[in-house]
Amino acid sequence: MSNRNDDKVKHDHPHDEISHNASLGYYEIMETAVRELLIERQLIGPGEIRRQIEVLDSRNPALGAKVVAHAWLHPDFKARLLKNGRSGCEELGISFYDDTQLIVLENTPKVHNLIVCTLCSCYPRPVLGLPPDWYKLKPFRARAIYEPRAVLAEFGTIIPDDVEIRVSDSTAVIRYLVLPMRPAGTEKFTEEQLASLVTRDSMIGVIPANNPSETSPK
Amino acid sequence: MSQTEDLMKRLPNDIGGFPADPVVQVEHELEPWEKRCHALADVLDFHKIINTEEKRRGVEALGSEMIGKLTYYERWIAAFANILFQKGILTPSDLAVKMDEVRSRERPNTESKNA
Repeated sequence: MSNRNDDKVKHDHPHDEISHNASLGYYEIMETAVRELLIERQLIGPGEIRRQIEVLDSRNPALGAKVVAHAWLHPDFKARLLKNGRSGCEELGISFYDDTQLIVLENTPKVHNLIVCTLCSCYPRPVLGLPPDWYKLKPFRARAIYEPRAVLAEFGTIIPDDVEIRVSDSTAVIRYLVLPMRPAGTEKFTEEQLASLVTRDSMIGVIPANNPSETSPK
Repeated sequence: MSQTEDLMKRLPNDIGGFPADPVVQVEHELEPWEKRCHALADVLDFHKIINTEEKRRGVEALGSEMIGKLTYYERWIAAFANILFQKGILTPSDLAVKMDEVRSRERPNTESKNA
């Protein structure tokens, strides 16, 4: 075990199982060592990690929000998007840097969709960026599939009993994105105004898209 | 049902359907090394050295104690190391030597007093 933590600034925030400092030094050294060995042996290129970090940094929920807003305004696009989520996103210039397929799930007055990855943390990263920690932790992964209404209530989302809830469990190659319902009162909104109502959590399916009266776009 | 039957049917990652605590909406900004680790996973996948399924199985193969005690990206890098050993791409001593080198480079003024 390294003694790297000795000279670290003392942390006063709580540590959870996603990130803590007790053994960080050791695994950080391991990460550096593995990366350097692979580069030395020319199994990966010297700039590839940095370039991929730039790709990761370029992905965030604004991309997904753009897709959703475009689908709300353009029925033909929405139809293509629901048929093939990946090619629909690619139409809007969102590249997929991995081998995953994307299935877009449309919320309706009768069906509410929720996505989860019970086995680990599969997530539509090309369109949403990296998942929040709670998506990767046991409570959400374990419970979303058998008591989704209770889980949604913990996010403040109450789904009426006559609305079916469909939970989709992601895999290494199939990822999901929820197309939330367009909020009422947005008939005259531009695509940008609509996109501003679409949050990451609404595309995971734990909350609806924001109500315009709560965000009052100019 | 025998007490160990569930251990055969359920690998450590397979927790869907289990009772669990309420969801706490925690998030954190990735540490720089965590982001590098994520990028490494993607690059290993691009080069068909380790794909996403192999990574997940590699994490499962760490066993429930390590899965419970290591953080998310600690599990990833530990799994990558093991998979690279299994594939004969690296040896444990390659990694140990390189880790010593990294450690001494990071702390040039410190003898390995607690090695």
